[in-house]
Amino acid sequence: MHEYSVTKSLVDLCNQEADKNNLNKIHKITLKIGRFTGFSPDSIKFYFDYLKPNTKCVDAKIIFKEVPIRIKCHDCKQESVLDEPLFLCPHCGKTDISVISGREFYVESIEGE
Amino acid sequence: MKKVEVFKPVLVSNKERARENRKFFDGMDSLVINIISSPGAGKTSIISKLVEHFKNKHTILIIEGDIKGDIDSSRLSKLKVDIVQINTLTECHLDAFMVAQVLPKIEKKYDLILVENVGNLVCPAEFEIGEDFKSAILSTPEGDDKPLKYPLLFHLAKVVVINKCDLLPYVNFDLKKAREAIKGENPKAHVFEVSAKTDEGLGELYRFLERKLDAKKKAKR
Ligand SMILES: Nc1nc2c(ncn2[C@@H]2O[C@H](COP(=O)(O)OP(=O)(O)OP(=O)(O)O)[C@@H](O)[C@H]2O)c(=O)[nH]1
Ligand SMILES: [Mg+2]
Ligand SMILES: [Zn+2]
Repeated sequence: MHEYSVTKSLVDLCNQEADKNNLNKIHKITLKIGRFTGFSPDSIKFYFDYLKPNTKCVDAKIIFKEVPIRIKCHDCKQESVLDEPLFLCPHCGKTDISVISGREFYVESIEGE
Repeated sequence: MKKVEVFKPVLVSNKERARENRKFFDGMDSLVINIISSPGAGKTSIISKLVEHFKNKHTILIIEGDIKGDIDSSRLSKLKVDIVQINTLTECHLDAFMVAQVLPKIEKKYDLILVENVGNLVCPAEFEIGEDFKSAILSTPEGDDKPLKYPLLFHLAKVVVINKCDLLPYVNFDLKKAREAIKGENPKAHVFEVSAKTDEGLGELYRFLERKLDAKKKAKR
């Protein structure tokens, strides 16, 4: 749903970075996307195809790198990876945890010429 | 081929703008609450109650976010409270830029700014607007499994209001299950069981917000 504006930001950011680094054309965008964000790679792809003409992204493809949800328990001090965002420590069952990763949504790199 | 390491958040501009908005609100000593729920859970009804309760003691502004129209604003205008309307048109959430556009309309200091986000449990959670905290509203007819199905909002919300508790006898909603689900997403959330129709439970919410209003004022000194 909100992927339109998000993908617009993505295209703008990549174009700015290409300008700064004297790239005329971007071929590949590596996007880190945490499993605990509300963004869907499929709709990003959909809007990307719609938004990329007449930009430096016109021939670019996006590589999605998913980041797992990782938590640290303050009770037993162990770190764990969760399949789903249900914030219980799988080791001791306590809920006093911090989210270490999973909320990422950033451009790791762009490649082009 | 040349590779450029970027490492920049896609929403960097929204985050930066949200930070600017927050500075503006902090400069005004305003406590800003971003109120998020699915359509019809009771955002406008709860805001009305908060306005009625706090308006004699505190100055209040409502920022009303809707895709289209000003139905909620006209409902709230009966309360003689200052309101600014934002129409998001195609967007399903408020973002920091939309809020930034109305900042120039805020000409005086408000103790409390209540932002009614667009009715949607998913998208608004992702966009900071410069708020002090988010408050999620979950109404009993929606079912007790919503925190499990829409975890991000409940993970981020400091306050979760379970509304329409007057309907508990008629709907399939297990308060205990709902509380457990919320706790699973966010052990630190403050959960309130209320009814905007019968006023049940609202006193506790008022007292909590009164403390937050005090704390915001003291933070400045
Ligand atoms: N029974 C009951 N009805 C309620 C309660 N709170 C709100 N309602 C009713 O629920 C309906 C929706 O309430 P609103 O306050 O308009 O909900 P909203 O979240 O602002 O809705 P949108 O802005 O359209 O997303 C209205 O008909 C309210 O009268 C409650 O505690 N109990
Ligand atoms: Mg409303
Ligand atoms: Zn543990």
